[in-house]
Order: sequence, then C-alpha cells, then structure tokens
Amino acid sequence: MKPLPKFKYHAPSTVEEALYLLATLDEAEPVAGGTDLVPLMRDAACSPSNLVDLNNVAELNYVREDSGYICIGATATHAQVASSPIAAKAPALVDAVSGIGSPQVRNRATIAGNLCNASPAADSAPPLLVHEAEVAIRSLKGTRIIPLEELFAGPKLNTLEPDELVTEVRLPAPPEGAGSSFKRIGRRKAFTLSVVSAAAYVELSGGEITEARLAFGSVAETPIRTRAVEELLRGKALTGGLLDKAAESVKAEVSPITDVRGTAEYRRDMCGVLLRRALAEAAERAR
Amino acid sequence: MEYDKILEMLGRKEFLVVGKNVTRSDALDKVLGKARYTADYVPRGTTLLKVYRSSIPHGIIKRIELDEALRVPGVEGIYTGADVTGSNQIGYALPDQPFLNDVKVHYAGDPVALICARDEYALEAASEKIHVEYEELPPVLDVDASLAEDAPLVHDGGNVAVTTRIRKGDAEKGFREADVEVSDTYWSPYQEHMYLETEAAYAVPERDKVTVICNGQSPFLIREKVAHIMGWDLNQVRIIQALTGGGFGGKDDQGPLVAAYAAFAAHKLGRPVAHVWSRDESVKFSNKRFPARIRYRSGANSEGRVTSIEVDITLECGAYANRSPFWLWRQTAHAAGPYEVHNCSIDGRAVYTTKVYGGSFRGFGDMALHFAAESQMDKLSYKLGMDPIDFRLRNVLVEGGRTTCDQVLDHSVGIKECLEAVRDASDWASHREPVRDGSKVRGYGVGLAYHGISTSRSTPDWSAASLIMNPDGSVTYRTGIVEIGQGSPFGHAKIVAEIIGVDPAAIRIELPDTDSTLDAKPTHGSRGLMLGGTAAAKAALKLRESMVACAAELLEVPSGRIDLAEGRAFDRENPGTGISVRELAEEMYVRGYDPAVHGFFKAPERFFDPETGLGVNYSVYTFAATVAEVEVDTETGEAAVLRVWPAMDCGKAIDPLMVEGQIEGAVSQGMGLVLMENIELKAGHVINPGFKDYVVPSSMDTPQIEPVIIVEKPYRYGAFGAKGVGEPAIISVVPTITNAIHHATGIRFNELPIRPWTIHKALKEAGN
Repeated sequence: MKPLPKFKYHAPSTVEEALYLLATLDEAEPVAGGTDLVPLMRDAACSPSNLVDLNNVAELNYVREDSGYICIGATATHAQVASSPIAAKAPALVDAVSGIGSPQVRNRATIAGNLCNASPAADSAPPLLVHEAEVAIRSLKGTRIIPLEELFAGPKLNTLEPDELVTEVRLPAPPEGAGSSFKRIGRRKAFTLSVVSAAAYVELSGGEITEARLAFGSVAETPIRTRAVEELLRGKALTGGLLDKAAESVKAEVSPITDVRGTAEYRRDMCGVLLRRALAEAAERAR
Repeated sequence: MEYDKILEMLGRKEFLVVGKNVTRSDALDKVLGKARYTADYVPRGTTLLKVYRSSIPHGIIKRIELDEALRVPGVEGIYTGADVTGSNQIGYALPDQPFLNDVKVHYAGDPVALICARDEYALEAASEKIHVEYEELPPVLDVDASLAEDAPLVHDGGNVAVTTRIRKGDAEKGFREADVEVSDTYWSPYQEHMYLETEAAYAVPERDKVTVICNGQSPFLIREKVAHIMGWDLNQVRIIQALTGGGFGGKDDQGPLVAAYAAFAAHKLGRPVAHVWSRDESVKFSNKRFPARIRYRSGANSEGRVTSIEVDITLECGAYANRSPFWLWRQTAHAAGPYEVHNCSIDGRAVYTTKVYGGSFRGFGDMALHFAAESQMDKLSYKLGMDPIDFRLRNVLVEGGRTTCDQVLDHSVGIKECLEAVRDASDWASHREPVRDGSKVRGYGVGLAYHGISTSRSTPDWSAASLIMNPDGSVTYRTGIVEIGQGSPFGHAKIVAEIIGVDPAAIRIELPDTDSTLDAKPTHGSRGLMLGGTAAAKAALKLRESMVACAAELLEVPSGRIDLAEGRAFDRENPGTGISVRELAEEMYVRGYDPAVHGFFKAPERFFDPETGLGVNYSVYTFAATVAEVEVDTETGEAAVLRVWPAMDCGKAIDPLMVEGQIEGAVSQGMGLVLMENIELKAGHVINPGFKDYVVPSSMDTPQIEPVIIVEKPYRYGAFGAKGVGEPAIISVVPTITNAIHHATGIRFNELPIRPWTIHKALKEAGN
C-alpha cells in the first residue's frame, strides 16, 4: 500500500499556540478529523511537512448559541452538530450533516474541515449558504469574518492564507416563520458523494414568501447560491406555478459538468427537481 | 453409489444436523475480528514486494533500465522476465500471458518487474526510478475496434481468442414456425469483485522449496503455477491457504499470480517476502467480470412455446484470454435459459482488447446470458399478450427435458416448482399493473436461472477430503476446498457429523496445506459444497465403518446393529448399551481400527461433440427463480429494489441459513451490477479505482428479502442430494430487476448498469 509522505506532528493545546505554529512552520496544515486530508496525502495531492492537530484545542470544540448566532467551533464534528438541539434550529444543516459519509466518518469529520476542503460536493455547504453562514478566520495578525461564499475559490481551493485558521462557523438563529430543507441525490442511499444537492431556506408571512434563499452542490466549481431564482420567489405566494417557474429558471443559473458521478444534463434537470422538493419542505417547516 | 440416499443407508429416518441451521464454527472469530487472514501472518520487518507495471495500454518494450532504481536506499532486488528460471508463461487457458512482460505490454498495468525493498517508501521511490522505453502501439479499446479489418493485433494469431458454436435442430425452420419474434442486443459491462480483503501472499524460501501463505481459490492451481514459473516439481512448493476475505472468482485467477510473484522473489532474494495489494491495485489490475455483447433473436408460436433462438455472443477478453474459453462456452451452452427449445443456433467469439482482462466472477457468463435470455422471454410474453410467468411455465425444463446442448436431464430439475413458489409467495397475479404514488411508480418483475455446477464438457473433475479420528475423540478434517466466506468447509463438517454422529463443533477444519491435503480441485463453479461434500461423505463413511467395527467388537453386538449419534456408538436395539466416541477413539488405536481415512470422488463423465456443441456438458444444474418489486422515481430516475422473493432448487440444503446467506449477498451484488457498479476507463486506464467512485450497494440499499424458498430435488452424486448455491443465487437477480424496471416504466434498458441519469433521460424522451 502507498505510504503516507513523512511529516512532523504538532499538538497544540490553545488557539494561540496553533496560530503560532501555522505562522512559523513551513508547509503546515491544520488537521482535525483528517478524513479529507489523509486520503489527499496518500494520493500525494497534498504533502505538508507539518501537521498541526487541533484535537487538543479544547476551546475550538463547541456548538453553542451566542448573540443570536448558532456557533460551530472548528473541531465540532458532523455527529456533534447532528445531535445538537441548538443546530436543530437550522434543519437543512442537520439533514445534511446526518447523511454525510458513514457513522465513523461523521464521528471524526468536522464541519469546518468539510468547508475548508472546498469540494463542490460538500454537503454541509448548501445548507450553510442558505442560512447565510459566516466564517471566523484567525491568524496571529488578527481575526476576520467573511461570508461563507467567500471561503470558496474553486474546486478544492479555499481563500485562506497559509497562516490562517478557521476557528468558527456561525449562522444567524432563524426567526419565527423560517424553515429550511436539504435534499440530495447520491449513487446509493448512504455513504456516497452527492451527484447533486440542494438547500432551500424560506421565511413566510401569511401565504407570502418574504425571504427565499437557494444553494446547490456539485453543479458548479464551488457550492453556489442561485440569486436570480431567489429574487423570482421573493414577495410571491408559494404556488405550483411559481415552483414550476423556479425549477425551470434554476437550470440556467447552474453550470454542471459530466463526470463518473453523473451527466451535466442530469444534474441540471435534478436542480429543478430538488429545488421543488427542498422548497416545499422548507415552506412546510416554516408554517 | 447414490449419495442422496445416505440417510437410508445409515438406517435413520431423521437428520441429526443436515438441513438444520447451525452456527458456523468460524463465525465467532470472524465477528470478533480475531480470524487471521494472509497479511496477519506477515512479521514486522519482512521485505515487501511491489509489481512494477506498464503505464501504457499497448507497446513494444525496447529497453528496461533498472540501475537508478537499484541504487535507491532500501531496495533489495528488482527482477524482470529475464530472471525467470522456469517458464515465463502463466496463461490459464491459452499461452498468451507472460508472468513478467519483457517483449510487449497489452494493457495499462501489465507486470514488467518485481521490486523488493525494506519498506513502502523505498518501493515507491524505486517505482519512480525504473525507466521503460516503449515503442507505443495504437490501443484497441473496444470489441468493434478489435474486430475491424485493419485492427492492430493484441497477440499474434489474430484478435479472436476463441470461438464457440451450437447447432441444435433447425433454427430457421423454428423461426418459420413462430408467430411472434423479438430481437435485441444486450450489453453487460465489467464488474469488480470488491472483496474486502485484497490480494496477498507471504512467501518463505528454503534452498529448493518455497512455502507460501496466501489467499486464493485453489491451492493446487497456485502450487502448479508457482512450480511452473520456478521450473520445479509440485512437492517443492507448499501452499497454505489462509482464511480468505471474499473470492467471487477473482482470487481464482489472481491467487496463482500473486503467490508466484512472492514465491519467485523470495527464492531469488533468499529471504521471506510479503506482497499485499492496495485497493487501488486490486481495482485497476485484477481481472474483472468479462464484458459481453449478446445479440439475441427468439421466436414463439401462439400456443406460447418458444420455437427457435439465434444467439450471437461477443465476449471482451481484454488483454488476455484468461478463462474466456470456459466463460464463453458456458454462455453458449446455457443460451436458451432454463427452457426447452428444440431449435438453437448459437455462435460466440472472445475478442482481445488492450484493457484490463476479464476473468472469473460469480455467475461465470450466466449473468450476461440470463439478462439477455430473460429479457427476451419477457418480451415474447408481452408480444403474445401472455402473463410472463404463465408463458415461462409453458417452456421451463422438466425431468426428461433437454437443455440447449441437447443434454437430457433425468433427475434433479426443480425450476417449475421454484417459479410457482415465487409466483404464489409474491401474490404475482394481483401486481400485474404498475402502481403510481406521486412521482414514484412500482413494478414487479420475474427472472429465472439455471447454472451447470462445476466444470464443463470433458474436463476431468474430482474432489478429495481426509479425516483423522484423534485418540481423544476429536476429529481433524482436511479439505482442499477453501473458506472464502461462503462456508463450504463447514458444510462438509456437517456432512461428516451427520455420518459419524458427532457434534460439528468437535470437527476441526484445517487450513488447506498442499503438503498434507489432497488435491480437491478449485473452489469455483459452485462446486465447493457439492463435490467437496461428496468426498467428505466418502471419507466419513469409511471412518464410520472403522468406528462401527470397533464398537461392535467392544459392545459384542453385530455391526449392523450399531448406530452413531450424539457423540456415542450404541446398539440400536438397546440404546442404553453404548460407548462414547471419546472412549471408542482410543480403542480404535489400541485394537488396530484405521483412524485416518481419505475420501476421493470422481465426478460422472461428461462428453460433447465439438462440431455441434451438443452433449452432456455439466453433471447437474441448480435452478433459481426470483420475483422483485422495484420502485422508480420518475422525476429523478432513481430505481430502488424494495422486495425480493427468492426460490432455489439446490438439491438439499445442508444448512438453510448458509443458503439464505448466499442468496442475500447475491441480491446485493447482482443489484450492484444492474443499478450502480461501473469500471470507468479513460484511454485504457481505470479512473475509479476505489470505494469512493466504484460504488457498490450499501446495507441501506438492500431490499427486503423475503424468506428463501428452498426446493429440494436431490442430485444423485451430491452428499444427501446437495447441489451448488453460490452462483445460481446471483444470476436470476439481474433480469428480475430489469424486468421489474420495465414493468414500472414501460421502458426496456438493454445496457447495464442502468443508472439514474439513464432512466431519467429515457423517461424524458418518452415524454414523462
């Protein structure tokens, strides 16, 4: 079997210490679950000289509510988020993280890691995008907070500097009358990458959609929001006719490719199908 | 001797253990993770071996440069074809497969050199430093390109490796008698075995001998191939087969290669060598299920009888013929399916391409064949306006019927009973209309299968087993039939236990070791329990004779009155008068009753006429029928198998639980071929070599499998009447699902796999 390339291992116990290591060591990569990083290293797609293990940094492991935000610490795993009563307020997120990988993967893999890996197929991304999540990024120079969308630069590319660390992902606690949903199509029922995924978030007032947000995975170079379709929905009553129109329009806003997991044509058509299903469920939850 | 009548011979009316569900003796170790597989025997620090392979699909080797690689620290030796002392030819059926390629490469992955080094880092570094200069040849990437007039030759002598034919009755006359006719072309792709344990061997050399612990499916074939490469006698090679984590046919073909790499390198180096494949190597380079294109024309009359079939089979070998002559023959010989058809015209050819080669895989050609044959039967029934099951019942083989090859089946034919049983269990008649629920639609399909057990035509066939009664009454059992997850050796132990009246748990099953185990031929062709079990029964009957004679002397009653049960020998007429096997065993040694026996069983002769293809091809057939309920989401194209009703005529279920286990695994593996599995190639290179993108069904995809209906039409030469189960279990699964998809959607899909985007596109085009 192909061996892992050699690396030095560091296990800081504070964020400050971790940031110092990332700033001073050559070719250093932070690692938490390692479920993306280790296979990449084995395939020689990534060969850091230093690994900075975040698992001993107690202050990064939490799911909590703070000042109107649901806050997810950098080392919070999918399993932690899936079972958190706080995260339950963002049902699309819970739907997504409960279905990623296998139980073993969910016990190790972190939400922050899933996002930093910047896969177009990352299942946690569409729900976090529709919940308008932000990412807190720290380095020795300070802290910056960016919208999640700005973390993604392309397939498997993020916008972090080598000395920066994502310390938290946070999303506004949804108001009353909000609902969200996540739908995916995989090549089997569990433990597989999404061929297409979709998340919808709506706020309803009376019968009217006062806010609508949609995001899709595996249909562009990064997980994307489809803002033209969102605009189409806002201020309207959720009718069958509107759903038809949205499902049709979304196909123009995505740019999928054909690969071993599916054809471009299929993915485009499925954006319409999943949009309907996710919107219908989000609206149901909003009522 | 009629082996299905053993119980009567023993003078018993009830079985002790046969036919009952008994916990396998290896179950606990396997569940606890304590069972040892090949890699578990390798001591830390052992020299490791990696096969250096060609990076191009087709080319002449001009030069192999090793100097730089040999200078990599930690490298202990690198060997090429030039170092081979015996034969450098390891082809299974045809001499077309070099052990190490030094003249030409035939697919991206052809073995060129063996690198030995102290660790994986050195192996990887050395791989980068080997330089092979090729004169590249144009690759041949599909069967049509291979059959084209000006196609580049993959091997000297043409791109057609082998052909087959059957001429029975008069096919054209049969079509003139037909009232309806259907024709179609079916494609069945590569499938990867994806056994959990990858290929592995650990070789320990002596001066003129080598011992290999390895996985595989035939320690005797492995021994033969290793000896052949070394230029040695069979007794200079000792193969110990460790428990094997799945075979499905793949290790039947890879076992000899992997063991030979390790044995050859260990002998050259003069020290032990371990060779364990990564998943990446296993998926890219091991043999796959042979892809096949089958053109099938069939005709039937208005009474619902099939009058004629004309079948044309093109098998894709890939780089080497490997088992393709046997595979193609099996497809040819089974072409009509489990039906009596008087007029058959069948032609087959196996064609080389410069891609990973095909080889043994559960079903051995009968998956692709039955996919075609059973789709055709469905189409005929629709065209005739008949119920698909009623139509099949008019045509199925019955006792006295004749197969595609005109072989008369004089006994052990239970397909009609299987079909009627699944019809009734699934309440078929009330599911003749597809049911729509929102975007989803559910349909029912039926599929039948028959599968000749063990090897075909005139290939000699035998099996062997041995038993030792130890002085304390414990029993040691040796069989060359291997444990690959299926449990055949434990099935043998139950047969032995039934005959000598001990607890199966008292019988210890040794690992096959060619130094002390008789050649039992391979564990393939669903023969492990059937032929191995008959040899076990022969051995057990001999041991029983010894035990009974000794007990008769001790108890002073005529031997005809002695029976053996529950670990004791006793007088049938005074059951209180008896002796424990523990005491009896010691007396057998003291009084000179032979405590060690061999059982050797030669299968009945078969024969065939090479001109017409007619004859007795397989000594017996196992039959299966399944019904499935499939749900198709018409918006997403996703198809889910919801329920499966399986039935099988396996002669006699030695252990119903093991039959159920085989069928449940087969449903999943068969479903994988139909709905999701696919080897993706780009310019001849496999691009999805792992579990991430070679998707196999998960437990969540497994349908509700209804209780297995076991039909028992005993086979005269199987112990207690048993026939093989492993392959027949998977074959009918394929057409059952495809026919159910058709029932639900009204669309026929003739190419596997049928993935969501294929269904979605077809539904879209049909205006859904």
